[in-house]
Amino acid sequence: MRRLALIATAAALCAGLTGFAVLEHSADPPGPPAPLSAPGRGDSVPGGPQSMGAVITKLQAGLRQQPADAAGWAQLGSAYVEQARLTVDPTLYPKSESALRRSLALQPQDNTAALTGMAGLANARHQFGQAREWAGKAVAVDPYAWAPYGALNDALTQLGDDPAAQDAVQHMLDLHPSTESFTRASYALELHGRTTEAAQALQRALDDASSPADVAFCQHYLGELAFNTGHPQQALDHYHRALAADPTYTASLAGSARAEAALGQTDRAVTDYRAAVARVPQPQYVLELGELLQSLGRDGEARTEYGVLRAEQELFAANGVVDDLNLGQYQADHGDPQLAVTLLTAEWHRRHSVLVADALGWALHRAGRDAAALPLARQADRLGWRDALLRYHRGVIEQSLGDDASARTDLAGALAANPHFSPLHAPDARTRLARLQGHR
Amino acid sequence: MTLRRKPAGIGRRKSAALLLTLSTAVAGAALAGPGAGVGQASSHREAPLIASDPQVDNTDLYAFSSPDKSDTVTLVANWYPFQEPNGGPNFYPFATDAHYDINIDSQGTGKPDLTYRWTFRNEDRRGDKTFLYNNGVVNNLTDPTLLFRQHYTLQEIRAGHRPVTLVRDAIAAPSNVGKASMPNYGRLRNQATRRLPGGGQTVASQAADPFFLDLRIFDLLYGGNLSETGHNTLNGYNVNTLAIQVPKSALAYRGNATRNPVVGVWSTTERRTLQLSPGKATPTGPYVQVSRLGNPLVNEAVVPAGLKNAFNALPPSQDHNQPRLVGRVLDPEVPKLIQKIYGIPAPATPRTDLQEIFLTGIAKAAGGPLAVDLNSQLLNKDIDKRRFVPAEELRLNMSTPVTADPNRLGVLAGDFQGFPNGRRMGDDVVDIALQVLEGATPGHLVQALAAGDGVNGPGRPFTGTFPYIALPFTDAVNQAG
Repeated sequence: MRRLALIATAAALCAGLTGFAVLEHSADPPGPPAPLSAPGRGDSVPGGPQSMGAVITKLQAGLRQQPADAAGWAQLGSAYVEQARLTVDPTLYPKSESALRRSLALQPQDNTAALTGMAGLANARHQFGQAREWAGKAVAVDPYAWAPYGALNDALTQLGDDPAAQDAVQHMLDLHPSTESFTRASYALELHGRTTEAAQALQRALDDASSPADVAFCQHYLGELAFNTGHPQQALDHYHRALAADPTYTASLAGSARAEAALGQTDRAVTDYRAAVARVPQPQYVLELGELLQSLGRDGEARTEYGVLRAEQELFAANGVVDDLNLGQYQADHGDPQLAVTLLTAEWHRRHSVLVADALGWALHRAGRDAAALPLARQADRLGWRDALLRYHRGVIEQSLGDDASARTDLAGALAANPHFSPLHAPDARTRLARLQGHR
Repeated sequence: MTLRRKPAGIGRRKSAALLLTLSTAVAGAALAGPGAGVGQASSHREAPLIASDPQVDNTDLYAFSSPDKSDTVTLVANWYPFQEPNGGPNFYPFATDAHYDINIDSQGTGKPDLTYRWTFRNEDRRGDKTFLYNNGVVNNLTDPTLLFRQHYTLQEIRAGHRPVTLVRDAIAAPSNVGKASMPNYGRLRNQATRRLPGGGQTVASQAADPFFLDLRIFDLLYGGNLSETGHNTLNGYNVNTLAIQVPKSALAYRGNATRNPVVGVWSTTERRTLQLSPGKATPTGPYVQVSRLGNPLVNEAVVPAGLKNAFNALPPSQDHNQPRLVGRVLDPEVPKLIQKIYGIPAPATPRTDLQEIFLTGIAKAAGGPLAVDLNSQLLNKDIDKRRFVPAEELRLNMSTPVTADPNRLGVLAGDFQGFPNGRRMGDDVVDIALQVLEGATPGHLVQALAAGDGVNGPGRPFTGTFPYIALPFTDAVNQAG
């Protein structure tokens, strides 16, 4: 299985074998068939869908011919990041860094592509402060380059500097209105609770999308918006459209599973989750599958998934990915809430995004520290993001503090926003609400 | 670096577009986002970062006196390169949130005196039943079997006047989905060709990419082996084309093509942005210029890497305020590369001859070394010459007689109706540009580079009548060889 390959790689890395040459990485790591090859299209079709592996192979071949090609190294470095995103193979990050640094060594001046690549790599590793610095350097080199503003926005959003993040998106939009900027605009709007406009921005991104992967991306996030606003059937339709555009877009397979679970099609949901995890062992899918299994009373299977998740998190850490948020969220609900508080407090010192505020608040609640949790739960609401899980967390914290009125409002609000927001927590919200309303 | 190799075998070009764009194309497939790869999707969304944007990508611009109607000029602008003709339900629409513009500067100010603007809307009858663009043979633009159509409006925008709609809601010829579905594409294109009020005609269509070159020539500048040239990298691919033929008087300053025969032309694409202002965001905003093209190869062979984004965003009227751009014209990199690799000495700098060719047009009054009156707006008798600024435009002297037997090397071969005096479909701009950069003058070619890229004509011949550009290819590129 794919995950075993990953874990084996992790072991190798931990044994100190990270120094292998950047170019030695075969394009498609062992495991499941590379998900990106589109049937019927040659590798050399410009503008056509190309597997990331093929792109990497060609860049590598070109660089063997022209090892002093700074732009080629910059592209290779960024391609590794993209490949890592699609295959969830963090062992590509060190390779990416080597390639990008080589590019910068060859061309220290005016190397916007490599600087932007470094920003993207830092974002991928959740080193958002560094990402902001690299993106700032790229912007300084070429103020008309729009891609660095995308990386800058990504970093600022995660750091919780929301006004600056919004400025970066607007700047990007005004330099280059396109799928890349409209998708970021959509996220900014969604985080500010402007769901309808977020969908409109995604529709514009979709209209401008020219590659199957971008079409799938836009359809997928239209699906996410539909799901998060309590429309699982609409969401499922969007996920299916994403998969029709790009059958290898695994996120929409996992999305389908989530929507199916919400629609009561739990067998199909488990099957699709397992298929998604087999293709791309994204920790998110593993966690969702575990929680679905747990909600179905299949605790043993759930524990297996949680074990996989922990191994993956170790692997990411071994490759320079700092992900205390993800790990903390997992520990709060399924592991050690005290550890969660430690991890998330550290994360909160690094960045003040609404997501970290929510996660830390929730971890504090799980650790029994509701008085400390409430201000963070309120911080998480500072942008007006209409996220059911956030609201559920706040409601539970309020209930624990004896503020039943607020708890009722927030728990009802969470369920109104999305009655299917979590297979574990949505039923709990209903139970709590019923208790609070006096119909046990 | 000015020149970029073609990375990863992906071609993309702008005008010839060899270089820079190549990186964009790979990026499209490849360099997407600063993705996290970990965490909740909601906690760290990974959006695409560096995708290509081919729908709005200007690839080539042509401007020439119409060979069969010499009182008219034909302007042809292409977008959306590397369209694979085959391989399933491929359709390459124009963007519906964009302005597709051809701009004309008749006074030499770098600002458009006239803009022809195409805007598109979709008519999509596919519903949820099919993703195919037709459900039967399409013999006519209006056949119900054609399930997806693009309609366009063409406006004429003159400085200081209200826009005039020349064509309202016309139908563009669709992407050619294959011989079985569209057995007579020429008929569809004829049906899509519309007469203009005041004379002239226009069409929006797919077409065979008329640009011809061996992209590898730029690899080979690094590899140092010109013996491997001769393969037309673009053969078999299609583009989207907008063509318009108008009386010369429509373009000339004050409508007088006799006294004011020179026009500067460039194409641009604008996309509509989106305003995020807190509390009152609307999903619309002003239009932003995202792509620009005048002379072929300028973006590849002249504009320095760090200035390409600025070049695409700025109007020609700002070019003379970009010292790095002007500096690179005066001191280009390509001749230095060629000297390093082939030992052909680079001409002495500053290259005021190149400044004349690319930025002012060729005229004695331009003060450059090419003491010929050919194609600068300074030759127009009625303009205010104090307002003239150097600007990168494709300049055409409409009074140059049509050459009966055109020479692919244009002005260099003594055929003064060819590039850089406007640009015809058959002008071999790669060979011309290489020669010009090496300091060649009419009649005096640099012999060591005389073979150029070894590609001397398009894969599919252009035609003798409007819109001149060849019908789209229908066979998969990899088979068409």
